[in-house]
Parts: sequence; C-alpha cells; structure tokens
Amino acid sequence: MKRLAAALLLATALVPANAAYAREPFEDGSPPVPPIVPIPDPVAFVVPAGLYYVTDTYVADVVATSDATTTYSTTTVHESTGTYARVVDSIGTGAASAFDGTAFNGRGSLTDGRALAGTYYENFVLTSDGYVPVSIVFFQDDSETRRRRALSSPPPATPTPTAPTATPAATTAPVVGPSTLRGFPTPTPFPRPQGPSTPVAPTLRAGIALAPDGPALATAEVLRGRLIHFWPRAFANDVAVAIRSWRLLSAQPDYASAAAGGVEPLAAQWLRMPAPDVRWSLRFEIFTEIAPTERLEAEIAITVRSPALID
Amino acid sequence: MMHDDGGTAAVTTLVMLPLLLVVLAGALEFGALRAVAYRAAAAADLATIVAVNDQDQTVLERTGTLRLAAGAADTAREYFARNLNPTASALAVGVADIAASADIASFPTAPAIDPRTGARYDRPTVRLIATVPVKTPGFAVLLLPAVTTITVRAASSPR
Repeated sequence: MKRLAAALLLATALVPANAAYAREPFEDGSPPVPPIVPIPDPVAFVVPAGLYYVTDTYVADVVATSDATTTYSTTTVHESTGTYARVVDSIGTGAASAFDGTAFNGRGSLTDGRALAGTYYENFVLTSDGYVPVSIVFFQDDSETRRRRALSSPPPATPTPTAPTATPAATTAPVVGPSTLRGFPTPTPFPRPQGPSTPVAPTLRAGIALAPDGPALATAEVLRGRLIHFWPRAFANDVAVAIRSWRLLSAQPDYASAAAGGVEPLAAQWLRMPAPDVRWSLRFEIFTEIAPTERLEAEIAITVRSPALID
Repeated sequence: MMHDDGGTAAVTTLVMLPLLLVVLAGALEFGALRAVAYRAAAAADLATIVAVNDQDQTVLERTGTLRLAAGAADTAREYFARNLNPTASALAVGVADIAASADIASFPTAPAIDPRTGARYDRPTVRLIATVPVKTPGFAVLLLPAVTTITVRAASSPR
C-alpha cells in the first residue's frame, strides 16, 4: 500500500513537469554574440560663460519724464520661462556696440541723437544639443536732463512704456539684469543729471524696510527660523533714491545672505532666541547713487519671536 | 491537626475573579482613553502653533509687527483635523466633523480678551477648544457609556 501511494505521488509530481530549456551559449554553435559597440559619450554641453537661469522676464522699455529729467529704463516681470541669459555687452551713452541692431527691442537714443546706455543680454534655451542662443535684448538704463529753458512748460510725469518690436520673442524673451539674479526686481535707476542744473544739496537719510518699496522701520518683529529680507533704503528730501551699495556694520543673525551688497536686500534668519534684556539690531552703512561718497547709517531693532503655547 | 485550604482558595478565586476582571478592564480602558486624550491635546497644540506661523506679510512689511493672517483660524482647523487623523480609529466621530465643530478663534492683534474664556492675550493668539468623542468599549462592558467625550483646549502666540 505504501509503495502504491509513493508511486502515485511520484507520478503526480512528474506528469505535469515541463522540460527545462537551457543551453550553454558557447557550446551549441549558436551565432556569436555581436561585439558590444561602445557608444560614444554624448557631446559635452558647452556652457557659455556667465550664463544664469532667468527669473525676471523683459516686458517693455520705459521712458519716464519727471520735471526736466527723462529716464530710460526697462521693466520686467518676475517670471521664469525656463531659459538662460548672459551679459554680452555693457555700453555707455553714445558708445557703439557690436550688438547694435541685433536686439529684438532695438536700442533707443537720447534727444540729442546719442544711443542710450545699457546692457545687451543674450538669451538661451537648453536643448539636447546644448544651450542654443535664441535672441538678444537690450536693457536701456540712461537719463537726460533738459536745460532750464525747457522747464517752463514741463510735461506731465507719466511713464510711457514703449512697446517692444513686433518680434514674437519680444513678449517671451527671458531677460534679467545682474541685479535680478536672485529674483529681485530691477530698481528704476535714479536720474543722473547730465545737463547743467542748479546745485542743490538734498537732505539724505537712510532706513531699513522689509519690502523694496516699504517704509523705513525702526523695529521689526521676526519669527524664529523665518528668512526675512531687509532692504536698505535712502531718501533725498524724503524722496526715495537708488542705493549704490550697503554694508553690514553689526548684526547677530544666525544666517545672513551677505555682509555687503548693492540693490539686492539682505536676507537674514534667526534660529536662536535672544537672552532676556538683550536687544538685537541690524546696522547698515549705505551709499547712494546721488551722493556716492556720503556715508549714511541705518539701524533696525529686531525682536525675535517664536510660536509658543499659552498656559 | 491539618487543614485543607485548597478548596477555600478556589472558592475565593471564583468569587473575586469577576471583580478582578472588571477592575482590569476598567483600568485598561481608562489608560486607552488617557492616551487618546493626550494625542488629541497634542493635535490641538500643534494646530494652534502652526496657525500662529501664518502671519500677514503685508502688515509686517508696512509696520514691522507680527499680525495673524486672515486665514489663521482656518489653518488651525485644517491642521487640527490632520493631526487628529492618526487617532481616527479611536474616535466616535469623523475627524473632519470634530475639526469643523471646534471653536477656533483668532485674535490677530493684541492685547485682546477672549470672550469665551475671559483670558487676556498680550500677543496675537489662536485659541482652539474642541470636544472629542472617544470610543470606550471597555466601559460599555462595565455598563458605562460606550462613548466618552473629552474637551481639549489650546492657545498659541508668538512670544
């Protein structure tokens, strides 16, 4: 009986068995395996020097007239289109550039016919073949002042955006200036008087704001661990003027983006809480465009707070 | 003279066993209830702390002072529900319903007096009071309520 059972069990195991298909690849005479052809490495991308990712995109050229001064600037919108750009030429008023005539938005001129000062940027897109240049744009940054005779009938101070040329790329060309690398808006340059004018010594003062156009603050509450941007600001006769540079004189943050800078703000973060009766502050040294040699100081007291339960 | 205590011990055990089981079941259920209560309280605490982080950036830039964002109470409600979620199986009502019925008040500026509790807040504060029904089947076995409601309170401010 046991033998019968064992035989049945063996038969049950063997009947549904399938043959195992296996072979020795080097003994059955099968065609040889084709040699492996080394695939050449993809062409290394050539990254143009000075290339950076675009975070602010060109919108329009702007001509603004205020009193006797006409300012030529460029507006941008904080937007990334996935493209790259680099500075190819920075030129002064009236100077010629090898890129004249290549920018899709053109290069304007002052009323006396001289070409505007500004910067040429070359825009790139990243493809499988590398960085491919797609367009060139000109960021105008200039101003002029009319003579006193013209002041008798000043035109209204209204910014007049001039539409970019009809090139399709004009609306999408991603362009930023050096000051926009960190995603901050390009400030409108302060008018630089070029014609004769009555010398007036403006009253300068400086302050620290929490927004590019925010009011100067004496104190600020910050949450522990939060990155806060501090914008050094300067005012001439209570009118905001452009900052040329700033430097931190004293500070106690656990993180500071820089010890000095230009138009970009200071980003600071506190991770520790101050000891009782200890007052923290940020003290800046500020230089302006209209008085580059005049040193201004500004200070803002910092109160670090942290969310906590109330008993 | 010898006594046989075996029978006495057996009778005593038989008499005391139900009582011991009742005490054991009550202790276990009470411990579980305490655990759920702690977790609910922690959920409320964390929700208010998260909400206090929700500050009005515009006011901060204009004045340099912290002020709660308009949606701070909603933020607290949302995170209260999220934090309660891991405890959902022990709750007699859905976490969304518990969070929706929670009394959450935002005091964006300070000082402020809480009309419900009378507390004075010297900083912008988010306050949360919620009732959390917890399943207590062990109590039901002991002929006690099958659902026990606990109340959690939390308040946070930047200090």
